[in-house]
Amino acid sequence: METILCPTMQEATNVFISNLLASEDFIRYHQSQTLLDHDSTAQALLNQLSQAQTDLRKKQADSSLSRDEIDSLRVLQTQAQENDVISGYANAQQDVIKFLREINDEINQLLGFDFASFTKRSGCC
Amino acid sequence: MNNQGNEDIEIASTSIVKQAARDFATALAETPQFKAFDLAAYAFRNDQAAQQAIQALQQKQQSLRPLMQLNALSNIQREELQELQSAFTSQPVVQEYFSAQAELTKLCQALGDELSEAIGLNYAAACAASCCG
Repeated sequence: METILCPTMQEATNVFISNLLASEDFIRYHQSQTLLDHDSTAQALLNQLSQAQTDLRKKQADSSLSRDEIDSLRVLQTQAQENDVISGYANAQQDVIKFLREINDEINQLLGFDFASFTKRSGCC
Repeated sequence: MNNQGNEDIEIASTSIVKQAARDFATALAETPQFKAFDLAAYAFRNDQAAQQAIQALQQKQQSLRPLMQLNALSNIQREELQELQSAFTSQPVVQEYFSAQAELTKLCQALGDELSEAIGLNYAAACAASCCG
């Protein structure tokens, strides 16, 4: 059954969300996400990398992995790290997570328990 | 929000966001679910029988941990653990605590869902130290 929030709780939630979204870290994160979504080179590189990682895992499982395939994956990983759009997104994501943890600590201090872990649904993370 | 003159973007400073987080936490602390949980937690901490039951259970779990990790408990040890577990969970104050915790968790999950959807990140996962941490 859906939980209905009381008006005060809903209002405080809305203000909290608006301020989070208007913070420097979140603005930068969402801007970098938009850039990544619209960059076909970065997208192609990420797809290639994801495919190569899947292939590598399969080959690792049946012990048919060659040195050349490992080297190819490393080349793709380096290309992704050196891609400004991808690295910009990764850095912005790291910063926004750090910021969110800092904000969550502020909530925890007042409540006396870890709010984030109470929001967790069952299953991994 | 503070307008810091960053072109057309209105940026909220960290102190403003922290204040909004504190207001959010204050509103949560005023809900019936939080108040019930707070009362139940206090009652649990101050109930001698419940505290003795949890200590006995934890001591037994600690002494049997190596065997539990190897899944090598004997039937007698398993029964002992189950009895201590039942003795703990059958305490009215413990049942009230778990029930209040479940209600508060439901509310926090609803809030977490709303936050996650709005910010485009899973709030619980982002704040966890590591996967499932």
